[in-house]
Amino acid sequence: MRRIAIYGKGGIGKSTTAANVTAALCDRGLKVLQIGCDPKSDSTKLLIGGKGIETVLDVYRRDSDIDLGSVVRRGYGGSLCVECGGPKPGQGCAGKGIIMAFELLEKRDVIKEFEPDVILYDVLGDVVCGGFAMPIRNGYARDVFVVTSGEMMSLYAASNIAEAVRGFEGDGYARLGGLIQNSRNVTDESELIDNAASEMSLDVIFRLERDPVVQECEAKGMTVVEGSPDSNMAAAYRSLAEKILLLTEDAEGGMRI
Amino acid sequence: MRPMHPRPNPIVAAMYTLRDMEVDVIVVHGPSGCGFMASRMLEEAGIRVLASGMTDNDLVFGGADSLVETLKMAKERFNPGTVAIVGTCASSVIGEDTDMCIKRADIGCKVFSVFSHGCMKDNTEGAIKAIEAGCDAGIIDPAEAERQIAVMKAATALERERGMAARQYLEPVRGPTKLNIARKINETLASGGRITAVMIAKKELAYRFADIFLALKEASDALGGEVFSVANLDKNKGLPRIRRYAEDICSELEFRGVRIDRVIGGLDEYALIGEEIREAAEASDPDLLIICGIPHAYPQIPSDAILITDQPRQLANYLDKGHNAVGEISSHSMVMGTRKIISLETGDTIRDLLRDAG
Ligand SMILES: Nc1ncnc2c1ncn2[C@@H]1O[C@H](COP(=O)(O)OP(=O)(O)OP(=O)(O)O)[C@@H](O)[C@H]1O
Ligand code: SF4
Ligand SMILES: [Mg+2]
Repeated sequence: MRRIAIYGKGGIGKSTTAANVTAALCDRGLKVLQIGCDPKSDSTKLLIGGKGIETVLDVYRRDSDIDLGSVVRRGYGGSLCVECGGPKPGQGCAGKGIIMAFELLEKRDVIKEFEPDVILYDVLGDVVCGGFAMPIRNGYARDVFVVTSGEMMSLYAASNIAEAVRGFEGDGYARLGGLIQNSRNVTDESELIDNAASEMSLDVIFRLERDPVVQECEAKGMTVVEGSPDSNMAAAYRSLAEKILLLTEDAEGGMRI
Repeated sequence: MRPMHPRPNPIVAAMYTLRDMEVDVIVVHGPSGCGFMASRMLEEAGIRVLASGMTDNDLVFGGADSLVETLKMAKERFNPGTVAIVGTCASSVIGEDTDMCIKRADIGCKVFSVFSHGCMKDNTEGAIKAIEAGCDAGIIDPAEAERQIAVMKAATALERERGMAARQYLEPVRGPTKLNIARKINETLASGGRITAVMIAKKELAYRFADIFLALKEASDALGGEVFSVANLDKNKGLPRIRRYAEDICSELEFRGVRIDRVIGGLDEYALIGEEIREAAEASDPDLLIICGIPHAYPQIPSDAILITDQPRQLANYLDKGHNAVGEISSHSMVMGTRKIISLETGDTIRDLLRDAG
């Protein structure tokens, strides 16, 4: 099983990229579990027709005897979709929410029950506290990719995330797989990202164009892979998915390495 | 150096301080098990303690509803005059807005909130937060608040300098029996010697340590010798509740024929009065010196003094330094809620020896 985490600055395109990669991997016959780690709970919506799903934390709050069937939703191509959920903005502790949701999924043995080939964590913006670092700690994710554009704030966030992952690397858990360029049509964008990547000693593993088809499909509640499979963009997402397969470790074990 | 042995909890220190300020109900906003042992003891002393009982869901989604509900229940059940909310690690980590909860609950009595939590390093920090909150709420006056804070800071400094906070690890011990020191005390009196007994007690623990004066009186009545007594039983120092302790104890001592020769400081001042007490004790030129309560508040303890404490770790600290010390273990749970002097094991051993001698 591959354990992959997607990080990146808020709004940069993590969820869109993650959902398209999940869709592409499902199309090629893999079973993918995508876990949204963001109280907004919109990571998997492109896989399930644009709708929200009930989150792990919402279900648990109602009934501590939580049943996996009610929090793991089947999406496009047989993908398995989970949203951790969290508090309303400005209340409680979202980081603790992520920690709790992971504990619940693990306790209910989501891996044994669904036997995914890939787990894909889509994690909120910056790594602000231990809760949001959860996927890169405690042995959950093995390979971390950071989505970035050439914008300065995005590269800055990428560098912070890289630093966070490196801080835990010695513990034998997560490692950095590289940057995924999600272009924003900034002047000399690739060059800017290449320079930043070499400063972080990371590779840019793939460059995604900015393409209106992404939003067109989004409006239909779909990934590009589903909504416009013959487009260049869909082909790009499929190549990215292949690249990710190449670069990640397929290791035995449960939810944690 | 950071002490590794368990240390008193700032949340609990805040709760005890709220008792001293005589609030009617304490609401612990946190896990229901937080401060459980201390809560039970405070209930013995007549304070109502409730917990908002935060669960993991409250950590994630916020605990405001649980707190508001608990406040309303407090009103309904106990119709209190004052309620204090005590913060814990759990509520402080998520930045709970307790003042907002007070407004939402709107229970029509004085409710205020203490921003304490477990990671405040010194337990006195929690007590200081309680004093400040009590002062803001108008239940103690600013001059007394200032005095309390100075006392608390002195206590912290004392602990760091000579108490348990000065040691990285101490193994709790029960220590030797009281037989040897009781013998020594009785022998000193029987041979016509002079014993100076010093009590530097902390608050309610005086209800137990004051028994040393009663036991010494019985012994000197039977055996002769002389007793000089020094105690921090000033009835005009501290919060009303603490003054009442001093009053209770002084009148019981008097009723049983004991007059304290030198009263120095109040029952919350143990950290401030060591030097003055030492001067008084030295001036009395004793053959045997007994220091009970918080002996390390006494500076440069003579090596032949007898020390009586209630803390197993403090006892370890004294024995480790070569002092002649005994422990009156579990005294705190015995004195909670009492208004009478409770006999010391040391006192009872002295009495047993008197009886044996006939
Ligand atoms: N390559 C692209 N071309 C065009 N639009 C894109 C592309 N990638 C993402 N977008 C658009 O950018 C917007 C934000 O994307 P997305 O929600 O995936 O970001 P995110 O990083 O997950 O945000 P958040 O941090 O808020 O979770 C979406 O409207 C999406 O359609
Ligand atoms: S960790 Fe803090 S909040 Fe939790 S029980 Fe201990 S003192 Fe209370
Ligand atoms: Mg997202």
